[in-house]
Amino acid sequence: MNDIDPESKPSGSRQTTPVPTRRDLVFGMAGSGGDGIVSAGESLLQAAAAEGYHGVMTKSFGSQIRGGESSCRVRISTAPILNPGGSLDVAVALNWDDFLKFGAELPVSGNTVVIYEAATNIPENQIPLVGVTPLQVIAVPIAAMAKATAGTERAKNTVVLGLIAGWFGIGAVAVMKGIRKKLAKKGEELVEANQRAFDAGRTFAMEHPLTTSMAVVASTTKGNVKLITDGNEMCAAAAIFAGCQFFGGYPITPSTEIMQFLTDHIWKYGGSVLQAEDEIAGIGAAVGASFAGKKSMTATSGPGFSLKCEMMGLASIAELPLVIVDVQRGGPSTGLPTKTEQSDLFAAVFSAHGDVIRPVLAPTSVADTFRTTIEAFNIAEFYQTPVIILSDQEIASRKETLDPIDVSQFEIIDRLVPTGTELRDYKRFKATENHISPISHPGLLGGTYLASGIEHVESGAPTNSGSVHQRMNDKRTKKFNPLKKRKDLFEVTGNEDAPIAIVAWGSVAGVCREALAMAKAEGINVKLLVPYLLYPVAEGAYHDFFASVQKGLIIEQSHLAQFHKLLRMHIDLPRGVKPLARSGANPFLPGEIVVALHQLLSELQRSHEGNLQPQE
Amino acid sequence: MSPNSVIEYQPKDYKSSLKPIWCPGCGDYTVVQAIYRALAAIGRPPHEIAFVSGIGCSSRIPGYTTAYGFNSVHGRALPIAQGIKMANPDLLVLAAGGDGDGFSIGGGHIAHMIRRNMDIAYIVMDNQIYGLTKGQLSPTSQKGRITATSHYGSLEEPVNPLLYVLAYGAGFVAQAAPTDLPGMAAVIEEAIRYPGFAFVNIQSPCVTYGEEAQQVKGLKAISQNLVDIGHNPADRLAAMDLAQHYGSKLYLGVFYRNPEPPRTYTDLVKDRQELLSKDALPKERILDLFIKK
Repeated sequence: MNDIDPESKPSGSRQTTPVPTRRDLVFGMAGSGGDGIVSAGESLLQAAAAEGYHGVMTKSFGSQIRGGESSCRVRISTAPILNPGGSLDVAVALNWDDFLKFGAELPVSGNTVVIYEAATNIPENQIPLVGVTPLQVIAVPIAAMAKATAGTERAKNTVVLGLIAGWFGIGAVAVMKGIRKKLAKKGEELVEANQRAFDAGRTFAMEHPLTTSMAVVASTTKGNVKLITDGNEMCAAAAIFAGCQFFGGYPITPSTEIMQFLTDHIWKYGGSVLQAEDEIAGIGAAVGASFAGKKSMTATSGPGFSLKCEMMGLASIAELPLVIVDVQRGGPSTGLPTKTEQSDLFAAVFSAHGDVIRPVLAPTSVADTFRTTIEAFNIAEFYQTPVIILSDQEIASRKETLDPIDVSQFEIIDRLVPTGTELRDYKRFKATENHISPISHPGLLGGTYLASGIEHVESGAPTNSGSVHQRMNDKRTKKFNPLKKRKDLFEVTGNEDAPIAIVAWGSVAGVCREALAMAKAEGINVKLLVPYLLYPVAEGAYHDFFASVQKGLIIEQSHLAQFHKLLRMHIDLPRGVKPLARSGANPFLPGEIVVALHQLLSELQRSHEGNLQPQE
Repeated sequence: MSPNSVIEYQPKDYKSSLKPIWCPGCGDYTVVQAIYRALAAIGRPPHEIAFVSGIGCSSRIPGYTTAYGFNSVHGRALPIAQGIKMANPDLLVLAAGGDGDGFSIGGGHIAHMIRRNMDIAYIVMDNQIYGLTKGQLSPTSQKGRITATSHYGSLEEPVNPLLYVLAYGAGFVAQAAPTDLPGMAAVIEEAIRYPGFAFVNIQSPCVTYGEEAQQVKGLKAISQNLVDIGHNPADRLAAMDLAQHYGSKLYLGVFYRNPEPPRTYTDLVKDRQELLSKDALPKERILDLFIKK
C-alpha cells in the first residue's frame, strides 16, 4: 500500500474552520443512479467511523436496476445511535426531481441546511419544497466544480464529500484516505483527480461559511476499533457463529445479501449453500439438511415467504429445527420491493395451515441482529421447530458502526440427540415431560425412523387417529410454554409505574427508544416495551408491563396495525392503548411520537379532572 | 449379486414392520421388493440410507423400509433429498414418488436436480393416474383418457418422463416394470451404484383406476428388453430415439449410462470446502470481517 501520510493536510485547509457545536447530524442525499450518492454515503460513514463517531446509513432506491433515483441518509453522532433520525439537518439534492421522489424518507424542516446543484438553475428562494423555510439554502455548482477539477462530472460525489468536510468537520482526512484505498488499484491519476475535487468542495465550504455553524465536535473515541456492516451480513455472520452448516435459498430483494455472504464464507466452516431453482426448493433443501442433522437456514422476503409456507408446516409437524429469515418489504405481492414495512407479521405468525406455533423473533438494529439470529438457532434446535426471524428492509440494508461484540457471552444450543440407551428402543416422537423428544439423524445406528408430514404415533408411523392427533398437537404446542416465560426476550425501559406506555418492535423500536428519551426529558412519565419474541405471544410479559398503564401506543409500520391486533387476540389491553400505525416507506420520526405522547398526557390529565369531586 | 462378495444383508433386513396401504395387486408391491433386493445387493446398513418421497400412493414407500425415511410434501422429494445429500454426502440417498409428484407438481425440480448431478437415485412409479385422490388425470395420462376429471377425455398430451430426463442430460436413465422383478432389482441396483443422478421410470400399474392395457398382462404384451434389441446404453441419441416410444412400447433396462460420469456436485463442494477452510477465521472471530481499518 502506498498510503500517504494520513495527517498530511489537503490544500485549502488554511481557511478558518467553523466552531464545532453539534453532537449529532443527519444527512440526506439524493441523486440519479449514476451520481454515486450511495457510494458517497458509504465513504462518509467509514470516514466518520475512522474518526471515532457512531454512524448509521440507510439507502433507498427506485426499483430500476440501473439509473433511476437513489438516496441515502447518514446519521453521525458522538453517542450511540438508535435509528436513522428524523428530519434532516443537511439535505443534498443533486437534482430536485430525484430528491422529491423520496418524500417522507428525506424530510426537510426549518432546521435543515439545504445544499443543491446550482446547474438546476433554480434560485435559492424558489426551491421546490412545499410549506417549509429551511434554515439555509445554498446552491453549489457541484457538477461544474467536478468537471473543472477532476475532468468529469462523475466526481460530483467527491465534491459533495469535500463540502461536508468543510462545513461540518467530518472526514477532512479520513474521506480521502478511504478513497485513496478504494481507488489504489485504478491508478494515482484518478486518486489525484478525486483529491482535487474533494479539496474544491472543502475550499468552497470554507469560503462560504454557514450562517449558523453546524460543525460536529470531535469524538473522544477516535482510534477505537469500529465494525461497519448491515443487518443482512450480520445475520449471515451470526448464522455461521451459531453453527449453521447449510443454507438453501433463492435471490429476492431485500434479503439476498444473506445468501451472498454465506456463499463467500460458509464453505470455510464445512458448510454449504444451495442456490435453489425456486423458493420452495430452497427451504426444501434446508428441511432436508436439518433432517440430516445439520443446523440449517433459508432467507427470503414477502413473496418468497408466501411460497415457503407449506414447507414450514412440514418442519413443524416433523419437529425439525430450521431458521427462516423474512426480510420484510412493502406488500402485498411485489408491493414496494425496496422499501421497509412491518406487514408480514400475520404471515409469519399464521404461516401455513393447521394448529401450530412457530416462534417469531425480530431484531431491532444491525447490532442486535447478531444476538437475535443466534437466539433463533438456539430456539429452533432446542424446541425442534422452525423459527422465523422477521427482519425488515431498513435493518437488513442499513449500515451501522458498531463497537466490537464480545461473542463469549452467547451460549450455543444444539438439538437433543438420543443416548445409547434411548437408541435401544428408539421412538422419535416419544412423549416426554417437557414434550421434547430426542432427535436422531441419518447415519446414527439405532435411530432410524420415518419423518413425515402425515400425523404420526410416537414411533413415527403414520396414523389417522383423532386421539393421537389431539395428543401430538398438545405436544407440539405445549413444548413452547417455557419460551413464553423468557423475560430476556423483552426489553422494558423507563419508569416501571409509568401510566403512559409505548410498544414497538423491529426497526421502529429504534425510533421509539429515542422518542422515549426525548419525552422523558420533557417530563412525560412514559415507558417502552420492545419485544424480541413476537410469537407465541408471551401474555405474562404484557400483563406485567400494562399493569400500570392507562394510555399507550402500539407503534408499527403496518396499515392494518397487525401487531396491535395480534396483541388484542391474546391480551386485554387497557382501553387507552391504541395503535399508531401506517404503511411502510413512511418512516416514524422520534419527534412525532413525542407529540403523540404529549397528546396522551393531556388526555390522561383531562380524564383525571373528570374524576374530581365537584366542589361547593 | 457377485458370488465373491460377502453378503451381510438380506432383502428382509430392509423391510419394515409397517403394512402397506396399497391395494392388493398394486405394482408398487413389486417395486418395494425390488428395492429390498437392490439394497441387500449393495449392502449399506439401513441407518446409512435416507429414503425421501413426496405425496401419493407410491410416496408411502420409505415407511416400508428400515432406512431413515422422509415422507414429505407433494412434489418436493428432490429438494429435500438434495439438502440431505449436501448435509451428509456419505449417506446413500434415494428418492421416490409417483408420476404426479415427479412430473406435475414437482416437475420443475428435475431439470435442476439433473444439472447439479448429485449422487441420488430417483425412482418414479409411473401409473398414468392419480390413485390416492381416486382417479384423476396425471401428467402421463394419454390424450383422450377418461378419468374423474376428464369425463369427456383428456385434451392434453402426456409428459414423456424418459425423454424429459434424457434431454436435460441425466447420466443414468432406465425403465422397469413388475413384469420382471429380477430385472427391476438389477436396474435399481445399477441406478444406486451410478455415481451421479440416476433415474428409473417404473411402469407400476394401478389396479383400481388403471386401464386394462396398463395392467401387467397388457404391459407384458408391449414390453421388450433393451439388451435383447442390442441397444448400446452409452449411446444417448439412440436412447432418446427409443424413448420416443414411451406409451406405445415398453422398453425395459438401461436406456443410457454415461460411460464417463462427471464428478458429482458434492465432490465439487468437498473440494471447495477443503480449499477455502485454509483461510477460515475461527468462528469466534467471524465479526472481524466487518472491521474497517
